[in-house]
This record gives sequence, C-alpha cells and structure tokens, in this order.
Amino acid sequence: MNTFWRTFKVAAWLGWEMDSNWTEPWLFMVYSVVKPVAGAFILVLMYTVFAFIGNRPDPAAFSYMYVGNSFFIFVGSVLFGTFQVIQSDREWYQTIRYVYISPISYYVYIVGRAVSKVGVAAFAVAITLAFGVAFLGVQIHLTVDAVPLFAASMLLGLAVLLAIGICLGGISFLTAKHTHGLAEGIPGLFYVFCGVLFPLSILPSWGQAIGKAIPLTYWFDITRRLLAPTLGVDSTLAGYSDLTIMALLVVSSVAFFGLSLLIFKTGEYFARKAGKIDMTTSY
Amino acid sequence: MKPATVRRTDLRYRIGLNLRAVVGRSYPRIVGANREPSWIFFEALLPLLGIAAYVFIYQSFGARSFAAAAGNTTAQAVISANTNALIASVVLGGTMVAFWLNVLWSMASQLYWEKEIGNLQLYMMAPMNRMALLGGMAVGGMVMTSMRAVSTLVAGILVFGVIFQVADPLTLLAVFFAALIALYGLGMMFASLYLLWGREAWNLSALMEEPIFFSSGFYFPVGGLFRVPGWGPIIAIIGSFVPATFGLDALRQLTLGSTAFGGQLWIFDVKTELYILVFMAVLFLILARYSLRYLETLAKREGKLTSRHQ
Amino acid sequence: MPYAVETRDLTRIFAGKKKRRIRRKRATGEGEDHLGPVTALDQVSIQIRDGELFGMLGPNGAGKTTLIKILATLLLPTSGQAFVAGHDVAKDPFPIRQRINMVSGGETSGYGLLTARENVWMFSQFYGVPSKVSKGRIDELMHTFGLWDKRDAKVRMLSTGQRQKMNMIRGFVTDPDILFLDEPTLGLDVNAARVIRDYITNWVRSQKSKTVLLTTHYMAEADQMCDRIAIIDNGKILACDTPENLKRMIRTETTFRLEVDTIRDIASFSSMEGVKNFSHTDDISKNRTHLTFILEDEGPVAEILSTITSQGKKVHSLQKSEPTLEDVFISMVGRGFE
Repeated sequence: MNTFWRTFKVAAWLGWEMDSNWTEPWLFMVYSVVKPVAGAFILVLMYTVFAFIGNRPDPAAFSYMYVGNSFFIFVGSVLFGTFQVIQSDREWYQTIRYVYISPISYYVYIVGRAVSKVGVAAFAVAITLAFGVAFLGVQIHLTVDAVPLFAASMLLGLAVLLAIGICLGGISFLTAKHTHGLAEGIPGLFYVFCGVLFPLSILPSWGQAIGKAIPLTYWFDITRRLLAPTLGVDSTLAGYSDLTIMALLVVSSVAFFGLSLLIFKTGEYFARKAGKIDMTTSY
Repeated sequence: MKPATVRRTDLRYRIGLNLRAVVGRSYPRIVGANREPSWIFFEALLPLLGIAAYVFIYQSFGARSFAAAAGNTTAQAVISANTNALIASVVLGGTMVAFWLNVLWSMASQLYWEKEIGNLQLYMMAPMNRMALLGGMAVGGMVMTSMRAVSTLVAGILVFGVIFQVADPLTLLAVFFAALIALYGLGMMFASLYLLWGREAWNLSALMEEPIFFSSGFYFPVGGLFRVPGWGPIIAIIGSFVPATFGLDALRQLTLGSTAFGGQLWIFDVKTELYILVFMAVLFLILARYSLRYLETLAKREGKLTSRHQ
Repeated sequence: MPYAVETRDLTRIFAGKKKRRIRRKRATGEGEDHLGPVTALDQVSIQIRDGELFGMLGPNGAGKTTLIKILATLLLPTSGQAFVAGHDVAKDPFPIRQRINMVSGGETSGYGLLTARENVWMFSQFYGVPSKVSKGRIDELMHTFGLWDKRDAKVRMLSTGQRQKMNMIRGFVTDPDILFLDEPTLGLDVNAARVIRDYITNWVRSQKSKTVLLTTHYMAEADQMCDRIAIIDNGKILACDTPENLKRMIRTETTFRLEVDTIRDIASFSSMEGVKNFSHTDDISKNRTHLTFILEDEGPVAEILSTITSQGKKVHSLQKSEPTLEDVFISMVGRGFE
C-alpha cells in the first residue's frame, strides 16, 4: 500500500509540474480556463445562429447542451491525462523504459499522472458553469438534499473516466504516436453517444444502444438531473429513477475498472512481446 | 567514394536543392501514414465522431423547432433548409478543422518535436532553405490530412445527407487552395516561434484549438458573431487573421449559395474573400521566411536550437 | 590557404535560466551560483588544417560539444570568431553547410517509421544529392559498415550499434569536406567501434582535403586516430599538438601506477615534494584504488609507499610506465577523466 501511495504521490507531483511549470501560475490558470470556455462559446454561437435565422429560441435545449458540455471538460482532460502518459513518456521524453522497470505499479503511476488534469478540469468546469449561469441564462438548481448524491456521482464518473483512460493507455502501448487522433476521437465518441449535447433520442436506435452501454451516459444524465432538474428536455432515460441510474453507474464503474486492468495488462504483455514498450514512431 | 563534389551556389543548384529537400521532408509523412495501419483509424476516422456531435446538435435543435412548428408546412420547410445549411457548415468546418489541426500540430509545433527527437540540429546545419523544410512538412501534411478531410466530406454527404450545390467549381478550388496555402503559411510563421520555445509552444498550439474554432466559425457561419452585439464583432475580426475564417465563409457561400441563411450571415462576397486569402497567403509566406531567419538566429544566440526537454 | 577550421578567442557563455534562478534564490537563499551563467568555451583558439584528423580530448562538460555546435552553425559564439572552410560561422553559414556534416554519438536521428535506407536518403536530399547518387552511396556505405542486411528494417527495430552505424552513414553520404564527429563511438561494442574508427581514418587518409574534427573522451581512440589533439577542460584549451609531442611534454617526468587496497586519505599526496600531479580511481568490485602519479623524478616513490602502508593498506602492484594521453591530462589538470 505504501508503494502504491508513494507512486501515486510522486506521479501526481510530476504530472502537475509537467502541466504547469512551463509558465507563470497566472498564465497557466488563464490557459486552463480559456480553452474550455471557448469550447462552450462554440455552442453558444451555434445556438445563437440557429435562433437568429428565424428559428424558435429554445433556452431549455441550450441549458441542456451547456451543462452537458461543461461536464464534458472532465472527459477530455481525464482521458487525455491518462493515455497520453504512455505516448509522451515513450515518444517525447523517452523516459518510459526507466519508469517502467522501476518497482512500482505502472497502472497507479498513470492514475497519479492524471490527477492534476482532474484538478484543473474541475476548476475549468466550475468557471464555465458560473459563467453560463451569470451571463447566458443557464438554469441550474442544485438542492442541498441532492448534494451527497451529486458528490457520489462525481466520484463514480471520474473513476469511470480514469478506467477508460487506462484502457486507452493499454491500447497505446501497441499503437504508433496518435496523441491527437485519440485526444480528439475518443472524446468525440462520448460526445456523440452519451447524451452530452443532445438527447439520445436524436440518435438512431443502434446509436442509442451504444449510448446505453457506456457508463458516461448515466453519469451525464444523473449530473444533469441533479444540477438542472427543471429543463424538461427528453433525456431518453426518463424511465429510470435516480437510484437506478446510480446503481447502473456503480456496476459499470466496477466493470470498467476490471476491463481497464485487463486491457492494460494485455496491451502491456503484447507490447513487451513485440518489443514495443519503448519504441518511437515519429513521422 | 567519388571525390568531393564541387560546391555550387547558382540559382539552378539552389532550386534543385530546395526541391529535393521538399520531397525528402514530405516523404516520411506520406509513407508514414501508409505504413501504420492504425493511422487511418485514429487520425482519419475517429475524429469524425467529434464533428458528428456538432451535426447532431443542429439536428436536435432542428427537430425540436420542427415539432414546435407542427401544422405550418412553410415554416417547417424553412427550418429543414436552415438545418441542412447549418449541418453543411459543420461538415465544411470539419474538413477545415483537419487542416488547421495539421497546421498546429504537424507544422507549427513540429520543429519543437523535431528538436526533442534530435532531428532539428541535423536540419539546421543542412544547406537547404528552411522554407523548403517547412514546405516539405506542409506538402506531406496536406496529403496526410486530405484523407481525413475527404472522409469528413463523404460522411457529411452519405451519412448526414448534406446537400451541396456547387455552381462555380473553379472558384471553389481557387478559394480552397488559397485558404490552404495561407493556413500553412501561418503555420510556418508559428513554426519559427517554436524554434525558440519549449513546452510553451506545445501549449500555445493547444490554446489555438477551441478558441480558434470559435472565433473563426468552424462550426457555425462566422457572420453569426457579427450579430452578437458588443464583443461578437471584435472576436470575429480577431478570428479573421486566421485564413480559415474567410476560407470557410467563401466555401460556404460557394457550396450553399449566397442566399443561404437569408444571405445575412456572410462577411464579404466570394471574390473579395478570395482576394483577401491570396493576399494572406503571400503575406504569411513572406513573413514566415523573415521570422524564421530572425528567430533561427535568436535561437542560435540563446543556445535553444539544440537544447531539448525545455 | 585558409584552414579547414579556425577559431579565434572563441567564447560561449550560456546565460542560464534567469526566472528560475530568481525563484530558487527566493526560496532557498541560494541559486545564483548554481544556475548562473556558464562559460562553456573560454577564448578557444585552434587551427585545423585541410586533410587533418583532429581530436578534441576532454572530460564530460569540457566544452567539446559546444565547440562542434558552433562550428556546425547551430550555435552562435558569445564573442570571438570561428571559420569553417574560410567562412565565418556567424555571418556566412550557407557555404559552410554545403561542406560539412555532423554525427553525434548516442543520438538517434530520423523517423521510426522509415527504414534505415530511407532515413539516410531523406537527409541526403537536404544537401541536394541526386537520388540516384545518394542511393548508390548508401548501398556502398551499408555494405562497408555491415548494415546491408538491415537496410530495409525500420529504424525503431535497429539496435543501438546499428543506429549509430546508420548515423555514420548519414554523415558520409553527403560527401562532406569537413566532418564533425562528436563522440562517434559512444556506447558501442568493440567491434562496432573498430569498424567506425577504421572507416574514419581511411576516409581521411585516402582522400585529399577531407578533414575530421573528432571529439572523444576515449584516450586510446584519440591517440590511435588523430594527427593532432587539443586537450580541453572547463572550456579552455590546455595543449594542442600531435599525440607523440603531447606525451613527450611529460617525458621528463615519471609516471607510476599503483594498485592498492581502497584508500580514502589521499590529500597528503598532493603536498608531497616531487609529486607534480596524481589521480585516483576506485574499483569497488575488487575493493581497490588505482593511483597514477606524475612525478618529477623517482624520489617521492618511497614516501608514497610508506604513506599507503602506514594507513594499513596493502600495495598490490607498482608499475613505472610510458606516459599516455591520460597522463598528459592528469599532469595538466590534476585529475583523470573518470
């Protein structure tokens, strides 16, 4: 346990240094906020343009999209924060071989490295939501009663995200340098299928089936239910109670944790077999 | 081994040298994409999902609006047309996103990457012009990226049923290539900055994703920004320094018709935008040449040309 | 006739990280000295003639790589001048770049997705070598360096030695007039190092006007290959001559090598009369210390032995030997390379 904790601490420190020490702290904070806020503004303008060209304003749909997009910041950051550890240590810093052969759990090391991204993402989510409420009329009503459930869902959601990130890490062991393809594509998968920006009912039935198989769909749904219960936009999961959704989230979190271990170990095994642990594949 | 070659400096020699350098540097990109099968999945197909999400947003808005206009067939027809035009705007933006990301990550920050893997010093002591090196990266990058851009267009037409109406294909091609050259020219300018910077450069590239997608109107007609009172026009004007802004605006006019969105969301007419793009292309290439020369000297003075892991 | 390489009072100072220095100083009260400006080259003046195989010998951090980077047009001097093929590196890099190439030991160049042959070909294109000529040379060099079997292997599949051979081929394929070799045999096995050394020596000797500047911290390599050697330490050239002349400089002195039980108290040796300089290396596996003394004559030997034995240490061997380049270095600097 001691080794795990020590590994986690050192990795978290390293992750924070790598993320932040390239500039002054204030600039880093601005940087951490500008990207996600600009991402939210894309949606604001999409909505503005839609309304401008003669369509009916739809503040509920806007709030639905805005809240979903705000929490999606966690998805991009945490996934990138985990799978890029292998790619950057292998191709860029070329330190993977030294960390990998040290007597630590590489799995724990990756989780530790991602922690700073979780912290920075939480800050960006808070700023984005606050901005939406203050200036864009986004409707948020989190009641005191809902706080424990909200906190539990947040923890589970982040755990699932870390697990998915580690799955990608396991795959990254075997692939060439695809940091940007992965950073863009995998979150895109969840962007489309998890009801982040629009209700699942917009998707064809096969798309809805995919969405229901991904735990993040339940995470986004419960988060939105607790944070903005008055939106009245079809959530497709309306038939599920809050507790059912939480149960689904718990079960899928455990399943994804197991899956992440399996994929990570398999990726690691095949990478060692093929001599790919410390390969470089630049082009 | 043959005796030492005579060292020529005439124009013909220099042109030959630089053309060979362009071919040499574009080669790894072109063959690299073919050699790694995972590339097609990760770099060309997977990113389509992000674009699909934006398409579904408009579909979702459109569906709710359509339902709300039940019984009014005229209004529903307008809503359908508008929704198609918006989705087409996203698809066109998606093709440009591919090139913009390539400019950021495989042009601008590439020199930083080359420094990290130890290649930069070998490039910088070779006699070819640095613009030839960047030109090679650009040509290779364009070829690599066109697969993703084409996939986006094909997915837009086949999967999302987007209808494009191209009345003037020659102007369309002219706008497309002028925008592309201007974009890569801008990338070359950034590349010179990255000679000097370390991780700052990487983070600057990351910072030029969403904010530029927003200010240049990658996923909505940029004219929408001019309709936002106060800060909207300012953001749009700043965004216009990225050639994708005028490029996309002109491409949308050429493929959707200038009457789309009631003709209210365009910045200028196509011809004006084409002239601006050509001007930008020339300007950025010239500026890139000089900034590259200046910053290379600065980097050599500060010893940052070869210092890794900054 | 200009020199192939000439430097005049060449100085390079690295400024260090100002912001970090200030931050460190605020946090700990120190830092200015540790992270402050570093003088990597201090008024270095050398002349390398056409057709010469010139060695730079010095320990890690002596300034060898900085010098090569300046000569290869990658770094500007802080003051002084450097000329390569008669052209100023700061003002006129293009004609220099046409004539030079550089190979650094222990560095991987190229792209992992390309084959060894493709990587070398790509670099040759930056020098305008026609493809047909380039491919012919690559094949010839691949045979010479024993890399022919690996010509179509992707670079990421090559061993360290094979990558280094590929690097060497990259350096020769452009047929440079002046080649900078920065520790070219670093980390290579004996056979691979020998192949490379032989090729370099033969390349210079068999052609007119091919010049090599070789930096190394392997004494034997410098001794065996170089026409002349400059000894560099802390950015300063301490001596520059043929290996024979350098060794002759300390021939009036006497070199003794001793192998003794691991010894800690060595301070008293430096104050002994007649001891010009000495170095020591611990061999932990054998629990021994190797001592090399440069003496004015044989007088102090008895005192040295009694100092060792008085500490209860056993002397395993004592040998009077011909001076080597390392002895020259010890004589000048007061320490060995290790």
